[in-house]
Amino acid sequence: MDATPAVRLDGVSKQFADSYAVHHLDLDIEAGHFFSLLGPSGCGKTTSLRMIGGFSDPTEGSVLLAGEDVTALPPNRRNVNTVFQSYALFDHLSVTDNVAFGLKRKGVAKAEIRRRVGEMLELVQLDGLADRKPRTLSGGQRQRVALARALVNRPAVLLLDEPLAALDLKLRRQMQVELKQIQREVGITFVFVTHDQDEALTMSDRIAVMNEGRIEQCGTPEDVYEHPASRFVASFMGTSNLMTGTYRAGEVALDQGPALPVGPRTGIAEGAAVSVSLRPEKIWLSDFEPGMATLSGVIRETVYSGPTTTYLLELAPGVTLSVLEQNTARARMEDRWSGGETVEFGWRPEHCLVLA
Amino acid sequence: MTLLRLPSATAPARPAARSRSRRGRADRKPRVLIAVTAMFFALLYLPIAVVALFSFNSKKSLTVFGGFSLRWYRAFVHDDVMIASLGTSLRISLVAMAGSVVLGVALALGLVRCRTRLGSLAGLIMLVPLITPEIVTGVASMLLFKGLGVALSTGTVMLAEITFSISYVTVILRSRVAALNPEVEEAAMDLGATRWQAVRLVTLPALLPAVLASAVLIFALVFDDFVLAYFTTGVDPQPLPVRIYSAIRFGVQPTINAVGTLMLAGSVALIALALFIPRLFGRRGGLDILSGE
Repeated sequence: MDATPAVRLDGVSKQFADSYAVHHLDLDIEAGHFFSLLGPSGCGKTTSLRMIGGFSDPTEGSVLLAGEDVTALPPNRRNVNTVFQSYALFDHLSVTDNVAFGLKRKGVAKAEIRRRVGEMLELVQLDGLADRKPRTLSGGQRQRVALARALVNRPAVLLLDEPLAALDLKLRRQMQVELKQIQREVGITFVFVTHDQDEALTMSDRIAVMNEGRIEQCGTPEDVYEHPASRFVASFMGTSNLMTGTYRAGEVALDQGPALPVGPRTGIAEGAAVSVSLRPEKIWLSDFEPGMATLSGVIRETVYSGPTTTYLLELAPGVTLSVLEQNTARARMEDRWSGGETVEFGWRPEHCLVLA
Repeated sequence: MTLLRLPSATAPARPAARSRSRRGRADRKPRVLIAVTAMFFALLYLPIAVVALFSFNSKKSLTVFGGFSLRWYRAFVHDDVMIASLGTSLRISLVAMAGSVVLGVALALGLVRCRTRLGSLAGLIMLVPLITPEIVTGVASMLLFKGLGVALSTGTVMLAEITFSISYVTVILRSRVAALNPEVEEAAMDLGATRWQAVRLVTLPALLPAVLASAVLIFALVFDDFVLAYFTTGVDPQPLPVRIYSAIRFGVQPTINAVGTLMLAGSVALIALALFIPRLFGRRGGLDILSGE
């Protein structure tokens, strides 16, 4: 593996009038990775992508592609291509001519262009629509044209700006799988901007979670989900029971409620005010195993949603936990807990995370 | 008056039928409105129809139709001065069209992309020629050329017409430029195009229907423009409208009828073309020259 990162952002900032869209970003993206920039709208993820692509100039810092400083280069002189959120297809050109656009600009021989465009259309399964105009295609097809148009140039890095946002849920799921397959096949580094944490989790090799122009955490999907580095990451990735309390050795005394045994954690002083995060699916309602901490609470609400059931469990007045249970656990409807019952629940202390 | 009394004439027919007939009348379009509309079109087009009819007159009379003939068309074709004027008018229209379209499109791109205070001021000033009385523009242009010591000629008409027409092109193009997706131009640059190539290969083709429609409109406007041409033309072959005006001062020749009919046919054809162009590009309901949409 190449030791030089495919993309390096070195202290990059983007300042608009009086606020930072991106604040002193340091980021390395390894070659061949599917890398996601994840965050809510306005967190600076698209601005970061545009600075890599050359559509936006950083006010500070530098952008390096394969070790080369490209901060001052315009988009047409960077070895990256972009799949835009609006797809930005050329409506007056056929699908073939859209895909051939980049190769023509580079002066690639005609026969070579025809061969590569043909291959690429096959890869994205558009070979039957080569002569159509983009206006006559469906959203999913347009999305594939945009992808083919960028990939055919064999860029070192492909930038994708929420390319699936405009598709309906089913098509989006399908494209997620396809996009990941295509990325593996072509081996190009993908930098993928999204606000959808599911999408980021299922597709990425690494995820950078962004908030207010900064990176909150960067790691593998598992890292980011299982070991969120901050309260923001814990709440943004999936659902989480977030509570506040005071840290003592091995447990956190909730501000309004009992003390929860927690996993080992260094770097936090005794008596510090902290947040704890306990994911709904990490809480058990039966069949406890040795080493689990247990407490009891009152079922306040039962929400059945097919494969799973969510219970709202009142731990103490004003402290409610959400608990997610696979419906394999209970065979029949009548076996499920109902409102008002007092039940025992348990969790592994290492799943109860202390966040500074 | 007869026309206006017509609707009530059928009303008091039979008491039993009254309610039904009243309902029926409410559903029908009121005849008064139909009459007014017919009158409007008659007043608008009858004079033109008379000109067209008498252009085919076999007699010299302007009041008595003596029978169908192409005599006055033949006379026009053999009138060297008129033909020279027609050539001049066509040249002026083509040059004004090309010049004002190039400058107007550039101005539209500039005004939309340049989001400074000076830019929006320029956008307002640009509209002034549209509301300035043309005679003011004509006199001002003439005085400018005189002041600069430029002899009036076909060239000065062209310059004046270009200046006058830029605003029309820009007004039509501006909303289309604003409706363009900026990501499309970025995509072209992303794929290796320079800024200029992106405009040439992607932006201009996207604007083409509106550009063509505005070109046709400018051609039609300039071709029969009298006021500006009158003040800025020299003594060399005068533009056709000016030539016609001069001819009329010495008594109306039926040839004028033939020229007028030809100009009318040409203008109608052009406007039809302008309405048809957007449809050629697959746009629905494309009244480009009117709305710029």
